[in-house]
Amino acid sequence: MARRKTKVGSAQRFAGYGILVVLGLIIIGLLVRQARFNPAVNVALRVPLHGKSLAASGQTPSATAALIPEVEGFTPLAPGESFGPDNLSDKIDGKAELYLSAGFKEMSCRKFGLGAADKAYVEVFIYDMGSAQNAFAVFSGQRRPGSPSSSLTANAYATTNALFFTHGRYYVEIVADRASEELQSSLESYAKALLAKLPAEGEVKNEAALFPKEGLALDSVRLCSADTFGCEGLNNMFTGEYTMKSGKATGFVARRDTPEQAQAEAKRYLDFLAANGYQKVQTPGSPADLPVLVLDNSFELVFVQDKTLAGVHDATSREAALELAAKLKNELKGKP
Amino acid sequence: MNPTDEEKVRAGELNRRDFLKRLGYASALTLGACGLGLSLYDAKGPGPSEGQQAITSLGDYRLKELAAGPGKLAIVRGTDRAVMVEQGVKALGGMESFIGKGDRVLIKVNAAFATPASLGATTHPEVLAAVAGLCSKAGAAQVLVTDNPINNPDSCFEITGLAAAARSSGARIIAPRASLFAPFSLPGGKLLQNWPVMAGVFPGVTKVIVVSPVKDHQRAGASMTLKNFYGFLGGRRNVFHQDINGIITELSQMLKPTLCVLDGTVSMITNGPTGGSLSDLKDTGTLVVSTDPVAADAVGVELLGRTLADVPYILMAEKAGAGQADYHRLNPVLLDTKA
Repeated sequence: MARRKTKVGSAQRFAGYGILVVLGLIIIGLLVRQARFNPAVNVALRVPLHGKSLAASGQTPSATAALIPEVEGFTPLAPGESFGPDNLSDKIDGKAELYLSAGFKEMSCRKFGLGAADKAYVEVFIYDMGSAQNAFAVFSGQRRPGSPSSSLTANAYATTNALFFTHGRYYVEIVADRASEELQSSLESYAKALLAKLPAEGEVKNEAALFPKEGLALDSVRLCSADTFGCEGLNNMFTGEYTMKSGKATGFVARRDTPEQAQAEAKRYLDFLAANGYQKVQTPGSPADLPVLVLDNSFELVFVQDKTLAGVHDATSREAALELAAKLKNELKGKP
Repeated sequence: MNPTDEEKVRAGELNRRDFLKRLGYASALTLGACGLGLSLYDAKGPGPSEGQQAITSLGDYRLKELAAGPGKLAIVRGTDRAVMVEQGVKALGGMESFIGKGDRVLIKVNAAFATPASLGATTHPEVLAAVAGLCSKAGAAQVLVTDNPINNPDSCFEITGLAAAARSSGARIIAPRASLFAPFSLPGGKLLQNWPVMAGVFPGVTKVIVVSPVKDHQRAGASMTLKNFYGFLGGRRNVFHQDINGIITELSQMLKPTLCVLDGTVSMITNGPTGGSLSDLKDTGTLVVSTDPVAADAVGVELLGRTLADVPYILMAEKAGAGQADYHRLNPVLLDTKA
């Protein structure tokens, strides 16, 4: 039997629409309410005052703990501690975000006394970052400008009281409470003993090779894991600082999976700059007629070459931005 | 037999009365569901433990004559922390004008990390000793020192040298323990609701002095006086890092200290809050003594080579009524101990 169409009056229709609108508003209200996260809701009042170390919590001892050697002359002052992503901030507070955003897996640390009388205090930290690139990100993100490189590994430097280096997926800090040449030598001995316990590093990638050499401060090459230059979602970007005759500038390079992804991120960064007040300026002679953006004498330039997103950040002059962009384009030519 | 509603609909015979009846049922059902939801809704969120009322303030310890008007501020240049503390406090009228005979003084230090004082991640013991000593001289009946550090409390107080400084100046360290924590709810606060804070150190306390270092902070931009209040929090407080400016602003409402001492003799310029390398530190040769925590931090920001725009919580705290970010308006006393 053919079904007849139900007759619906206009009052019924409006009432139906009204109900749907009210339900829709309730759903939107619920979603908005949920988005305003109050962390207190998730926290019971009887939680421990302090995060427990992995060892103290009765879990399997962490792999990194076994990599901290006991070396003659270094007297352990306390048992080692290990931390995972959930409680890293119990050890390093606000700096944990830097590690977590770079793929942190676990960290172990131990305090030692060094020397006979008036012992120096030394603390050793070994972070498993999951990959060599992640380890480089936290190493380079904290690199102390002007500190001399060390021959310990491909990525290593020393300050007057400490050593910092990567080895494969590990990032290591050996920190003393004072500065002296003798102490520095002891720290190096300790570092060598620690390196002997680490698995082979494999092929070491020279991250600075992405950048043209001329004018580049080699120790300025960094890998920013997240939100490069404050732009949300602009992740895993290599940066390097340049000093040229035409001025100073920071170059940036990021490899992406597809040209479309690189283009989309370039657009996101350009939109971010525009939203922050940057304006396009006339740039006769720019490579491939790339637009240069400026705000308060700070110049920006963004381009995409195949799967690579690259550009110039915070150049002190338009000429510096154009010069570095041309060098970058030339360097990236023919590279996969 | 009477046709069912469905049959009526099929036949196109659903009349106005039937429609209104069905609308009535549907509305009653909807209202019932809403009523049930409302009856189960807890607008206050998880409540405090049984028998406990959430406290709403840790107290206002400002001098009465200063509470209503502008605060006082002294900026002291130099290298000897003890001398700088003494001269800074003297410039504001001497410790006797803040601490009276029989006062029970609580000093809040930053003992967050179990690292030696030389690395600059914590309150310097010389500053604590100087402040505690002045309190005792002024007639304080008892001087207490506390913090809820990030690392193990005993290690933190010992390795930083703060325990030794407290002992030498006759002060007593109060390390955090579970019984000292009670739920705290800031009236109108979004984050601080039924959160455990170290309220148990306050009973009997009549004056509070906050003694902090000047440090870079990866998340907050800077860690100085206001960020030091974070050390009263218990629980998994790292969740607040997602809204670090919001939480510090709320913390500025939790407590009104008597006096703040901000030590920028040496400041941690980069890689804070832990630092690690001596190259993270810079001689900035300045110590601030103030009754206004916001003004003290505004001076500290300049020592780090930053502006108020780089550390948003300072202006947010000012807006919330915690103090004055334009510290020049307090007519600061400027001193140079080397002169």
